[in-house]
Amino acid sequence: MELVALQALNFVYISLTLALVALGLAVVFGLLGVMNMAHGEFVMLGAYSVLVVQNAGLPLLAALPLALAVCAAFGWLLEFFVIRHLYRRPFDTLLATWGLAILMREIVEAVFGRDYKSVNQSLPGTVEVLGAVYPAYRVVLMALMVAFFAGLFLWYRRSNTGARIKAMVSNPALATAVGVNTAVLARGAFIFGVCMAGLAGVALAPLVRVEPYMGIDYLLSSFFILVVGGLGSLAGLLVGSTVIGGSDAIVSAITSKTGGYMTVLVISILFLWLRPNGIVSRD
Amino acid sequence: MASSRAINLLFLIGLLLVPFLWDGFVAYQLGLFLLYGMVGQGIGLCWGRAGFLPLGQALFFGVGAYIFGSVLKLEAGSLFLIAGLLAAILLPALIAFVVGFLVFIRQIGSGPYFSLITLALTMLGFQLANSMDWLTGGFNGMTGIPALPGTETYETLYYVIWAALVLVSGVLAYVGTAPFGQSLSATSQNEERLQYFGFNTALLKAIAFAISAAVAGLAGALFAPHQGIVTPQSVGFLLSAEIVVWTAVGGRASLLGPVLGAILIGFMASELRDSFQYWEVLIALVFVIVVIRFPGGLWSLAEDLAHRLPSFGAKGARERDIKIDKSRAKGPVRLAFEDVELVLGPVRILDKLSFRIETPGVHSIIGPNGAGKTSAFNVLTGRLKPTAGRIEYNRAQVGGLSRHRIARMGIARKLQIPSVFPDLSVDRNVDIALWAGDLTLAQMFTLRPFRWSTPLLNEMYDIFPFLEDGRRLAGSLSLGQRQMLDFAMTCLTQSPLLLLDEPCAGLSSSETGEMIDAIERIVGTTGSTAIIIEHDMQVVERLSNHVLVLNQGALLANGAMEEVRSDPAVQAVYGGGSK
Amino acid sequence: MIGSHSLAISKLSGGYGDITVIRDVSLTVEPGKVVFVTGRNGVGKTTLIKLIAGQLAAQSGHIIFGERDMRAEPPHARRAIGIGYAPQESVVFDDLSVRENLTLQYRDRDLARYEALFVSFPRLKERRAQRAGTLSGGEKKILSFCRAVAEDTRLVMLDEPTEGVQPENIERMARHVATEAGKGRGFLVVEQNLGFAERLADHAHVLDHGVCVFDMPGGPGLRARLAEKLAL
Repeated sequence: MELVALQALNFVYISLTLALVALGLAVVFGLLGVMNMAHGEFVMLGAYSVLVVQNAGLPLLAALPLALAVCAAFGWLLEFFVIRHLYRRPFDTLLATWGLAILMREIVEAVFGRDYKSVNQSLPGTVEVLGAVYPAYRVVLMALMVAFFAGLFLWYRRSNTGARIKAMVSNPALATAVGVNTAVLARGAFIFGVCMAGLAGVALAPLVRVEPYMGIDYLLSSFFILVVGGLGSLAGLLVGSTVIGGSDAIVSAITSKTGGYMTVLVISILFLWLRPNGIVSRD
Repeated sequence: MASSRAINLLFLIGLLLVPFLWDGFVAYQLGLFLLYGMVGQGIGLCWGRAGFLPLGQALFFGVGAYIFGSVLKLEAGSLFLIAGLLAAILLPALIAFVVGFLVFIRQIGSGPYFSLITLALTMLGFQLANSMDWLTGGFNGMTGIPALPGTETYETLYYVIWAALVLVSGVLAYVGTAPFGQSLSATSQNEERLQYFGFNTALLKAIAFAISAAVAGLAGALFAPHQGIVTPQSVGFLLSAEIVVWTAVGGRASLLGPVLGAILIGFMASELRDSFQYWEVLIALVFVIVVIRFPGGLWSLAEDLAHRLPSFGAKGARERDIKIDKSRAKGPVRLAFEDVELVLGPVRILDKLSFRIETPGVHSIIGPNGAGKTSAFNVLTGRLKPTAGRIEYNRAQVGGLSRHRIARMGIARKLQIPSVFPDLSVDRNVDIALWAGDLTLAQMFTLRPFRWSTPLLNEMYDIFPFLEDGRRLAGSLSLGQRQMLDFAMTCLTQSPLLLLDEPCAGLSSSETGEMIDAIERIVGTTGSTAIIIEHDMQVVERLSNHVLVLNQGALLANGAMEEVRSDPAVQAVYGGGSK
Repeated sequence: MIGSHSLAISKLSGGYGDITVIRDVSLTVEPGKVVFVTGRNGVGKTTLIKLIAGQLAAQSGHIIFGERDMRAEPPHARRAIGIGYAPQESVVFDDLSVRENLTLQYRDRDLARYEALFVSFPRLKERRAQRAGTLSGGEKKILSFCRAVAEDTRLVMLDEPTEGVQPENIERMARHVATEAGKGRGFLVVEQNLGFAERLADHAHVLDHGVCVFDMPGGPGLRARLAEKLAL
């Protein structure tokens, strides 16, 4: 019973964190059609924010505004100088953001060094959940993520901004005709997307190794989640995270980390091939 | 062109002289950069020419290195060595072909998807190399690889590497010039149009990717004796990314630009890496600027400085002295739509559309906007898959087949917006139309198809004299001329069935007159069946006596112009009626 | 809300990319007037409207509204300045509900502004919770028409508003256009339904090959005069 509960908690935890990591790319790629190769680097920026805050001796919660500010600033620069000229040109955005990803990695490497850093957990200790002993930080994180996704879901569904975003995605020409400033809306969505990546980085920092090259794995898993789940809906994001996170966890446990990785890759190629619109397709 | 070739030769000869001008160690260092540069040349083929970017090329480099490294370690006979070398080249090529084909066949514009899959593959390769200790030596790498038999690693191996570079450059130059390379360029400019000419673009791109992987495998094979050790870093993501950077900075669209990039950045890095902390940041910045502002890279900047021509498309005029016979079996075309439906989301675009066309000549489709005219062409040519119903062409079911297969069955299509290949010369555009449906895969790698000619081509030159200035880039033609070139290309395929979607759109009235004459004349000469979508009743009246009227996705009327005109149902949907 | 804003287009040319569809077209819409543009398919009527709405970039000429040239303004700004637009195709947001379609541009998201229109088109009100993509073509046109007419723009452009709409609803549309024009709003309508044109037009233009070939005042007999020019 304990073991089952532990496995279930792990499963939920992995799926939720993956969904949080992929959320930013779901907005930027799924809604705006921009393949942001620097997505993982924004996660990295979030994680380094925690490191900076910790080194400065500040409370770890201060990392949150720092990460959001840094990501928003970077995101604004990127959108203003590069992306806005390249909407609907996926290959060019891929190239430009790929270059930017390299640049961000190299800057972080030059400033912080190449080696692994670790971040202390702000909530040490464990709690008992359903008979299983589980790290407190993870439990709190899971609760926060569930609340966050629920809030986001309701907001996207109910708010006027949500409706305008959906309008822009489904019919950009008509959106401008009814007076929606799609340029500003797209910029806002882009910055929101990269800030969400930074947020994911903050949440993950105490649990993973923080290093300049940590972003690539997150880029790939986010991408696979979108391929499997489908673009453009929160449901697809959660389904994709569950499939990718679940299959990775199960196969990794049976064989090895490499086996899990290979399974994820094969599943993604299969989806690309057999069901290019993913499980939850937009229409 | 000759000048560009001269620069290439000078560059290669200069590389050969390095051991004499400097010393053996510089040449040894240079050898490594040449190997990386070769991988970059393969990326150049994919990225600069075919328009898709592989981000995990080190995977193939590393696989080649591990294979040949382990063969060298066995210290067996030379036959075994050659087999090992072949394996180091062919296995990467096979992996690349399979992955490429699987990804490319599913969708056009799979660009970002392809790049990310290759990135994931190289990450996987890195993990495999790390974890398969028994094969690769794991994290510490495969060590103690002996020198290549017959060479001194710090002396003569350089010449082997140089020879490999010359070989690779020669092969890539040839492949690029041959119909294969020209078709790849066309793919990057307008993949869908090329499919309507019967080209299997997924196959072409997969082959290009396989060639690039083979080159990377060869470079990797030589890397093993050069370094004496192969570590997981050689298959990893970092090396992949670096080679892409070098390729971009050196010049992805040129033959030797990637090599130049690898040499320059390689040497500068070994000088500056330790003394200048922000060196890598600087290189990344240069990459971003090059990608956005100077897609031609350093090589094309150098060429521009020397006032050279761009290296694409401008091949010298060749005599068209090989007459080929493109006239297919004549006989009437039999086309039948039976209850064809097309539903996209909530919209019913074609609603049980049924008609038959069994007589040669020009047939016209008219109807109000949104009647489903272009959609009928789309389901007939494989752009869209019909939701229900049958489309039969000469008794074969075509609904749902891929574009290039339908094109090869003898259906050619001209899109409404003129779709020529703008960065290719007029001659190359014409070539592609002549090759359509007749060029075999083997012929793609020979130069003879550039000499192909047909009687119809001479007639085209007669009708459209501007085509004879074959070295002009198609993109520099006026709209009217592009419309005419596109029409000429569609007809030059000599497909029994020609689909022309508003061939006079955007033409002035005098150009419209020329176009009508041309259509009449060509259809008369070839005996093809043509279906035209047209709004201008005068054009319709001049060209055809069989008119199909579509409305709301179904056939409203069908018959001679006079019958259709007097049909009250037609008058009701057309201007003048009361609705 | 309604000032003396008239639309004056002079020597307007434009199209898709480097393809010119509209050549040197000039026309004016005075406040309170209803101006029709007609012509057979493919002559550039929709292109003309899209140039004015800003959906396509003009190559030359002027689009003067009030006192300003609209050519420099992005489409959403033209809407804010007072040019409303109901397109011919893709007329609603399929993924949104009818209600969202009608209110997404308003902060208050209030349906009250549609009161009068809902009296004429009660189906719309009944279906307000439904996804707009599930409406029929004619219902979508009505939704789009209501959306554009209820906006507080001084000019309303309607591109084939009656396409696929039932005759009794076309009559209701005409009544709303007449009422709004009576309040001083200008209308520019692309239409092939000549009965609708005759009922409403103060002036009508006929396009052919992207050029204005005829223009004539409205009034009785307009339909016959237009039909003659457009004869199949």
